[in-house]
Amino acid sequence: MIVFFQACLNGMLTGALYALIGMGLALIFGVMRIVNFAHGAFLMVGMYVSYVLFDHFGIDPYLGFIAAGLFLFLFGQLIYRFLIRPVRDRSDFMQILMTTGIALILTDGAQLIFGADYHQVNIPLVNRTLRFGAFAATAASMLSFVIAAVLIAGLYLFVTRSLTGRALRAIAQNTEVASLVGIDVTRIQGLSFCLGIALAGIAGGLLLPALYLFPSVGDDYTLKAFVMVVLGGMGSIEGAALGGLLLGVSESLTSLYVGNQWALAVDFAVFLMVLSLKPSGILGRQRA
Amino acid sequence: MTTPLLELRNVSRRFGGLSAVKNVSFAIGKGEILFLIGPNGAGKTTVFNLVSGFLHPDEGSIHLEGRDISGVAPHEAARLGIGRTFQLVKPLSGLTVRENVMLGAFMHTASAGRAAAEAGEILTFLQMEHLAAQPARGLPLAVLKRLELARALATRPKLILLDEIVSGLTSGEAVTLAGLIQRLPERGVSAVGGVEHVMQVVMKIAHRVVVLDYGVKIAEGKPADVVRLPAVIEAYLGPKYRELAQ
Amino acid sequence: MSSMRGWKPWAFAAAVLACGSLALVARNDYVLQVLFRIVLFAGLGLAWNLVGGFAGQLSLGHAAFFGAGAYGFALLSAASIPRWVALFLAAVVAAAFAGIIGRIVFRLRGPYFTLATIAFAEVLRLSVTNLKLTGGAIGLSTPALFSGRSLWGMLYLSAIALAVTAFVINVYVARSRFGYYLMAIREDEETASAVGIDTASYKLRSLLISAVLTALGGALYGSAFQFIVPDSVLTIDISLQMAIVTMLGGAGTLYGPVVGAILLLGAAEVFKNQFQESHLLVYGILIVLVVLFLPEGVVGGLQRRFGGR
Repeated sequence: MIVFFQACLNGMLTGALYALIGMGLALIFGVMRIVNFAHGAFLMVGMYVSYVLFDHFGIDPYLGFIAAGLFLFLFGQLIYRFLIRPVRDRSDFMQILMTTGIALILTDGAQLIFGADYHQVNIPLVNRTLRFGAFAATAASMLSFVIAAVLIAGLYLFVTRSLTGRALRAIAQNTEVASLVGIDVTRIQGLSFCLGIALAGIAGGLLLPALYLFPSVGDDYTLKAFVMVVLGGMGSIEGAALGGLLLGVSESLTSLYVGNQWALAVDFAVFLMVLSLKPSGILGRQRA
Repeated sequence: MTTPLLELRNVSRRFGGLSAVKNVSFAIGKGEILFLIGPNGAGKTTVFNLVSGFLHPDEGSIHLEGRDISGVAPHEAARLGIGRTFQLVKPLSGLTVRENVMLGAFMHTASAGRAAAEAGEILTFLQMEHLAAQPARGLPLAVLKRLELARALATRPKLILLDEIVSGLTSGEAVTLAGLIQRLPERGVSAVGGVEHVMQVVMKIAHRVVVLDYGVKIAEGKPADVVRLPAVIEAYLGPKYRELAQ
Repeated sequence: MSSMRGWKPWAFAAAVLACGSLALVARNDYVLQVLFRIVLFAGLGLAWNLVGGFAGQLSLGHAAFFGAGAYGFALLSAASIPRWVALFLAAVVAAAFAGIIGRIVFRLRGPYFTLATIAFAEVLRLSVTNLKLTGGAIGLSTPALFSGRSLWGMLYLSAIALAVTAFVINVYVARSRFGYYLMAIREDEETASAVGIDTASYKLRSLLISAVLTALGGALYGSAFQFIVPDSVLTIDISLQMAIVTMLGGAGTLYGPVVGAILLLGAAEVFKNQFQESHLLVYGILIVLVVLFLPEGVVGGLQRRFGGR
């Protein structure tokens, strides 16, 4: 039983980071209706930013993640202006192609710059274990969890309370009506795109101490992020956070009972099940 | 008494908790032109979607020539002889006008040549043969409305359902199209059902009208009689104008 | 149908013969390998075109069929089934997969359809990677379809045979009711069903044909390198290449996938030495440029400019 709860705890710790990734995608997918297949690649970029800061300047990843978020926010402005805005009103598949192209450029660009080698950051926090009664967690994962939780709460408050946040939600509900009531849809959508990929970058920075870093490390996270968004109910930012936690726990339990190598397959199987059994609200277009 | 071409018996359909269509019954006889009228949101298009298989009734039944067709899929409804147009014109914009019409004709022939020939006939009938080779993308609304009609006609329907086919047209265009609708029996169409807001056209060509309000049938009869009924005036104009009817 | 205008059987036959005779001229295995790859992906693009181009169902999961063909062929051959029978059965296996996958994914629309196709292919890749039966991540050896010294020449000719088959099917589809029905589905499913088209059934049929062709391509690919691993035949890169080849050339056109294969794989070959491991960078840049400036693909764009459509 303790093993089960320990696995749940581990799952929650990872899940909080997943939640950041999922909320980021929900901002882009829900508010922009942009199908972002480069989400994992942006996460990878965040990891490299934090890694470079650590490697060259000795900046701790637990500060570096802030820089990763800022960098991706600004980088996002460029991507949005030159590559995303032109396809905003095009078909889903054009968006998928565009963001896939961006992902390939980022991933193979990283490979060109940093090589295919695996990198790791060694910080003392990773090796320190905290114990809570029968349960244990590394100090690094606890710290990541706390930071992620604060960010999730902050984002939630921003989206529900602030004027901009409410504009975001209005656009997610109905873009047309939102623009009729005087919301600057283009500006808000740009903001939500940048915010969305900044969250991916932050999550990347926070994952850095826990993962090996290589150019295609983000690939799995793109599809995972969509799994979270679909699990949590399409376009809902809170839902995506919940989806992230669920995914973290389900992966951890799969690793425990079936084997680590099956975790990703189970993610996708769950995804297909949700899509095919509960297609209402998940269908791209409802029939009149 | 002969079996009507189409008959709705106590049909209801809800969306969530809302009744879009409540206990509606009416029939369309062979040779008849019947229009559904009523204010916005009265459930007219829902009735069309129910008849053409895009929606299925929660209660009641729908019969085509006496046969229960309540649960059929849209493509089956089309094959049974129910053709329809869409309120928002839906041309297949990557195809030419002729190809759009051929799609309907393919229901009866697998040969592209024969389908093209039949499409040509229909385009001539609807006086738009000169547009046959044009891509459907970017054509003016009046042409697109006619294209909707042509495509539905090519399936050789017994019953054709026209969803606001003249709305959005200038009154000249509307009158021409109304004339063509009256001639549909020449192409083998047994009955026409319409949903329409443009009363000018309804009054001119409908044999009978059914008035819906909030999903309920409130009147049925000859257009000239129905528009004088207090309930109809109230539905359209609000209770204030009720005394106008007296 | 105006995109049929370019269809000239004699010119086509001459082009095929010219391509085929390259096998006799080019004695160099490297050249033959490049040609094999280009023609194979032209065939795969044409297979994808049926579903992604004509029917407009934008699958990024065709690696599942490619892998099913490659693994089916390898496993069945290992069970000492004759090679050509194994090839046929591998295609049947892929068709069965298509039947199962299609029934689920065709209920979904837009990005959900695409995501579900990816998820299916990924579940298959991960299962093959983790199961003993399929050799796990280490992979399986695959028998060569041909023996003798001109192995690459024979492979190249088989790829031509596959591409020609796929092309002829595309021609048939473009001219027939089946093709018009697929295009109607692509343009608007509601209108399609209003003219009596059983959309679910037609989408599934197009996927079955596409899957069989893709599986044959997969088996051919496996037998060319005589060894397969999940990351070579079940990776999303395969699905992506099939889609990109078609979109680059022009989805829903006859020559698009062929032109796309020449451009994409040609560019990949040219830049391979410059970028080595990072050759997908070229793909990425090409995709971005096509989406921005040539959304209808090279052939689609040319047809619009010069041929009306």
